[in-house]
Amino acid sequence: MTNSIREIREADFLLVIGSNTSEAHPIIAMEMKRAVRRGATLVVVDPRAVWMTTIAEHHLQIKPGSDVWLLNSMAQVIIAEGLVAEEFVAEQTENFEAVQAAVKDYTPEKAEAFTGVAPDLLRKIARQYAQTAKAGIYYTLGITEHSHGTDNVYALANLVLMTGHLGQRASGMNPLRGQNNVQGANDAGATPTYYPGYQRVDDPEVQARYESAWSCELDPKPGLNLNEMMLTMGEGIKGIFVMGEDIVLSEPNANHLEEALAGVEFIAIQEPFPNETMRFANVVLPSTVFAEKDGVFTNSERRVQRVRQAVKPPGEARQDWRILCEIARAAGINWDYDSPAEIYDEMASLAPNFSGISHNRLDDVQADGMTGIQWPCPTSDHPGTVYLHGDGVMRGKGLFQAVSYRPPMEVPDEDYGLFLSTGRTLYHYNAATQTRRETGPVAKHPEAFVEIHPRDAQQRGIEAGDRVRVSSRRGHIDVVAIVSRQVRPGCIWTPLHYAEARANLLTNDEGDPVTGTAEFKVCAAEVTRLGEGKKLATTFRGNYYSTTGPGA
Amino acid sequence: MCSVSTPTDPHSTIPDRLASAGGLKKGVARGLSRDTGLHEADIYGVGSFYHLLARPEKRVRVCGGLSCQLAGSREILSACQAAGLPTEEISCLAACDRPPAVLRDRRTLPMVTIQDAERSGGKVEDLCSNGSESVWCGTIGPQDAAAETLCLNLSAEPDWSGSAFKAAGTMGSSALFDLIEESGLQGRGGAGFPAHIKWRAVADQAEQERYIVLNADEGEPGTFKDREILLRRPDLVLEGLAIAAAATGSSEVYLYLRGEFEVPGGVLAEAIQATTKAGRFPGITFHMHAGQGAYICGEETAMLEALEGKRGMPRLKPPFPVEVGLWGKPTLIHNVETIACIPGIVLQGGTWFKDLGRTEAGSKLYCISGHVQNPGTYELPLGVSLDELVAAAGGYVGTLKAFSPGGASSGFLPASERGRALDFKGLGAIGSMLGSAGVVVLNDTINMRWAAEEQLRFFEEESCGQCAPCRIGTHYLHAAVKRGEEKSLGLTHVADVAWQMNEGSICGLGQAAALPLTSALKYFPEDFA
Amino acid sequence: MSAMKQTLVLDGRKIELQQGDTILDAASRTNTSIPTLCHDPRLKPVGACRTCLIEVEGSRRLLPACATPATEGMVIHTKNERVDRHRRTLLGLYLTDHNPDRHYGLGGAPNQLVAMAHEVGAPTDWGQLPSKRKASSEDDNPYILFDPEQCIACARCTRYCDEVESVSAITLAGRGSETTISTNDGLSLLDTTCEMCGGCIDTCPTGAMTERKAAEMQAPPERDLKQVRSTCNFCGVGCQLDLHVDEAANDGRGRIIKVTSPPVGTTTNDGNLCVKGRFAYDFVDHNERLTTPLVRDKAGVLQPATWEEALAATSLGLAGVSERHGKNSLAFVSSSRCTVEENYLVQKLARQGYGTNNVHQCAAT
Repeated sequence: MTNSIREIREADFLLVIGSNTSEAHPIIAMEMKRAVRRGATLVVVDPRAVWMTTIAEHHLQIKPGSDVWLLNSMAQVIIAEGLVAEEFVAEQTENFEAVQAAVKDYTPEKAEAFTGVAPDLLRKIARQYAQTAKAGIYYTLGITEHSHGTDNVYALANLVLMTGHLGQRASGMNPLRGQNNVQGANDAGATPTYYPGYQRVDDPEVQARYESAWSCELDPKPGLNLNEMMLTMGEGIKGIFVMGEDIVLSEPNANHLEEALAGVEFIAIQEPFPNETMRFANVVLPSTVFAEKDGVFTNSERRVQRVRQAVKPPGEARQDWRILCEIARAAGINWDYDSPAEIYDEMASLAPNFSGISHNRLDDVQADGMTGIQWPCPTSDHPGTVYLHGDGVMRGKGLFQAVSYRPPMEVPDEDYGLFLSTGRTLYHYNAATQTRRETGPVAKHPEAFVEIHPRDAQQRGIEAGDRVRVSSRRGHIDVVAIVSRQVRPGCIWTPLHYAEARANLLTNDEGDPVTGTAEFKVCAAEVTRLGEGKKLATTFRGNYYSTTGPGA
Repeated sequence: MCSVSTPTDPHSTIPDRLASAGGLKKGVARGLSRDTGLHEADIYGVGSFYHLLARPEKRVRVCGGLSCQLAGSREILSACQAAGLPTEEISCLAACDRPPAVLRDRRTLPMVTIQDAERSGGKVEDLCSNGSESVWCGTIGPQDAAAETLCLNLSAEPDWSGSAFKAAGTMGSSALFDLIEESGLQGRGGAGFPAHIKWRAVADQAEQERYIVLNADEGEPGTFKDREILLRRPDLVLEGLAIAAAATGSSEVYLYLRGEFEVPGGVLAEAIQATTKAGRFPGITFHMHAGQGAYICGEETAMLEALEGKRGMPRLKPPFPVEVGLWGKPTLIHNVETIACIPGIVLQGGTWFKDLGRTEAGSKLYCISGHVQNPGTYELPLGVSLDELVAAAGGYVGTLKAFSPGGASSGFLPASERGRALDFKGLGAIGSMLGSAGVVVLNDTINMRWAAEEQLRFFEEESCGQCAPCRIGTHYLHAAVKRGEEKSLGLTHVADVAWQMNEGSICGLGQAAALPLTSALKYFPEDFA
Repeated sequence: MSAMKQTLVLDGRKIELQQGDTILDAASRTNTSIPTLCHDPRLKPVGACRTCLIEVEGSRRLLPACATPATEGMVIHTKNERVDRHRRTLLGLYLTDHNPDRHYGLGGAPNQLVAMAHEVGAPTDWGQLPSKRKASSEDDNPYILFDPEQCIACARCTRYCDEVESVSAITLAGRGSETTISTNDGLSLLDTTCEMCGGCIDTCPTGAMTERKAAEMQAPPERDLKQVRSTCNFCGVGCQLDLHVDEAANDGRGRIIKVTSPPVGTTTNDGNLCVKGRFAYDFVDHNERLTTPLVRDKAGVLQPATWEEALAATSLGLAGVSERHGKNSLAFVSSSRCTVEENYLVQKLARQGYGTNNVHQCAAT
């Protein structure tokens, strides 16, 4: 996020795209609700009528995968109508001409055929976005989990740069992190390309610093990203260590992965709970949950905050950092950390972005009356950084990237006639290893389901509560049908949380060529009714997912 | 969802929609939520506030007001229940002059007898007042008054010439405000606030969108004068409203009638239709709105909430409605009687009106009921005494013991005050009030502890529940004064509770609600022995 | 713009005003304490509880400090005989309609009403009224417990549900002394739009809305629990949590009794939490937790092992693959669920220990 969560309430225009904010980020949604109540304009772009659309001024229910058409067309309008922030573009960006040329033909009229958005409405929203000073963009996986996810992000960034919506409060570009410490894990260097603090592994100067600090030789070639690891599993990859992740449940095209894992010689997992990957593991190391450990998490707004131990681990389970130290020692490296605080200090000493942060400092209330520090924080007296690019674009000049529309890898055809998209619900979390052990979420969402539009349901003889089979070219799952106007005609949606109905048996593991992120958000699928009159045994309680809910 | 509502907000339609759906039955709120996009709990909260909506299974409601009780309403209640009618008690139905009154669905039946209840055979539709309920008016007087001494003159034929509206138009707003100031017209809903100040305040607002609201939520126990005006002189009401709208620069007039006024509402609706068809008041639109059963909605800001389709909970003042009123816009609110005085003042002059009064300006409609010979509505000079009023109503029944000069909120006064002028200032000076001039007379057969208990029961039931001093205070005082069923709290702390209610309550209901008990304790301590 | 600073006089002290100040805002900046019950800085003031009434010279009636705009030249008294009597009698009245046996709920937060009544010396001998408020008998939701006998109808919960969470699952219902908190038709919260964020509990000043789990655990009251400030482990917002722990429970391992948000204004979540952050902590004590290391035996079955055995097997397994197929035949997957320090160690282990950059955390978002 370039802005902070607290700034959202000040925004006057919010473009929420590919984010089911109220379910995936309820607290950020509360800030958005607050802005709307204050009078801000909320525009939600989503093929599905997510809850936020109920308070939005406009819901652009675009066809899946048509984001680039929409965004480029907005850019076209902004340029054509002379709404570009000329001064900002001239002084703080480069390569604008390329985008200007690339979007020339993306008129709202042409876009309509791809997106389904009326040209006048698209123009209105483009103008409003360009002309409102405090206008922020908020997005999540609905933007990135596409084969053209990087293009989507570039197209958004182009809008931000051409309107100069950067470097001010409540005005910027804000990816909302899906997990508690995605930011922190990346910050810590758990990526094939970077050491901690986003220092490239192929930068000789950085390499030298780390070699000296760690007294070893380091590989200057970036490693494989997660998607590449999964695609080469059993062939290139022969041994795998997994901490805190159920790859079999969470990675796309699970059938393929399960076959590939047979070719892997050694698998160790470090986990607090049994999971699907455990079926393939050679060693299982029982670890801890957040309430049993010390350390820090870094949230979406780059705020580093303390995690503190509240209870002791059960049985012989051990804190993860202790286990990792033991593994290192067993491998002959002498790690003698006394505490997570000491580990953090080592990282901070090697990454200038975090140099001013320590556990000690995080234990105090900060100058702004809040807890936690937002990096970059280079020195121990630096207050942290509330929003990025405040002193001009960080890389020097904001780089425009021209993008053009590419269709999704897979679109509906005669065999698989529906667009399938996947996502999260409020009540469960990722693989639901935690939330399916909780009474409330189970009471609300007891089992896996697929949302299907009444028209499509009728065509297939499906009634609400029927058990149905959802199939794609890669596999199938059996779930309950929720007949709902939340989805567009021609589209279905299923949550990703259920081990017995893994959405990733269906999804496409081909992904974005740049990030390696798989196309979870669009693939072709079909739904058929199972058996005779087998109705839903349990009920979904509460009227939100009813047939006449939002979007009716 | 949105905090500022507007005239087009579906929220304002909620009470009507609930009424059309037959009240707050299970599932109704969810259905309306789907129709309107409003939250179902909000709809439920609104429905549960109004007694005509909250318990839809009850279709027969017997008045529990003092005057009806003196006429045996509790026996009627038992008889109705015994006959198998779905019956409950209800707060004053504004029919104290024809007791005991019963509400059948939305229709007020006068002088219902035990035989009427028995004759119904348990069929709600067959319950009637000896076959003669369809349209009824109360007694008016005095019989011998000369027309030129009456501003409202209820016995006269309606005058649809529109001459006052035209005259006011010719006069211009500023001159009209001066005229109203000269007339000394005070608000006749209860507070006695000078009318011209409100008119000028609304006209002076920067905001150009303004509203006129007619308060016809006549619910103060003992009061029924507005009912008579609506039935007999709807011309005065509509013309007065039209003059107010034109003079204050508004075009939208909202008329809020209590939900039990089915018949007066029908008369008014017909009059509006005819008026609109004839184009009598060009540029002015009348909107009828039926209340759904809540005394508190007679409080002007609670009424605004009700018009906006919300729970009728009074707003904090300031800001006053003349600045921030209906849908947040400047709003002129007047009681039926006040607005009905306007055409007379315009046609006959401010001084004429002022001189109609004795101790304060104008003639005044006094409602009288209870232990008197001819209960009814009497137009007399403002400032007559109880004895004079009762003389006009044919005399006392039995020996006078106590009276309420202005509804339940005015508490009780002893017989020794029978010669005191019934006006705003004088009654205020002795800790009572003229209020809506709903005078209830009690003779020496009445125990004042019982009377106080009945009034407190009314206030507890009709408290909106928003603020603690009133919500808990009315409950406390009712429990404290009640004998029998519950363990008594005693009367030791009544004075402190009453002080708190008066000091701490948001609106006039809570501020006045202790008065029936404190005044009864003060003047009739022997009844509590 | 050099607008003259506006001022008012509060208890004899001159105070400078800021744009949009209420009397309560102005007073709190000078540390003048005015009691409030229905006030929550996240919500629009309604002035309904009446505890904050103060005297403003020139106003006939006492005025609610929370809802009255502070204006130039006001002369305000927050403590004098009239205001003090008001507070005493008001709180005394509140106590007559408040169940005295439940002033400290199980695991519940301290009751602000009772504390305030004590502080102002409110009378306690006015007797007890039978409560006329009712709760729905159908509410089988597992998290939120409503005790009507503790409720003071201040509507903080319903306003929170509307103004902050925007779901309006609950409402003030009924009228007068029967005014209560209800869902539509008295349905279970599970059958409504409620998202179980628990904000109603957070904002409730008396504990009428409380954590059902804590109550059912027969837990000690909040004051006897250890409070640990931590960061939520679900989504990327990073809400701060206060974990309330019964240290003696679970044979001394400790048990989380309930989770609350730090006070409004002190953390990113500003007093708010969602259903997962506030209520989803049972997994910590779940009986399916892995409590012993496992190593797959020759027959292909995972068998309990000692830590020594498991660590040796891990080391051996990873080293063996590396030797047979090269350093880059190993892959390390870490987790965005784990701490920064743990992720740091995994990448260091991959790079320093096994010489590969094949390390990635599980989520790229």
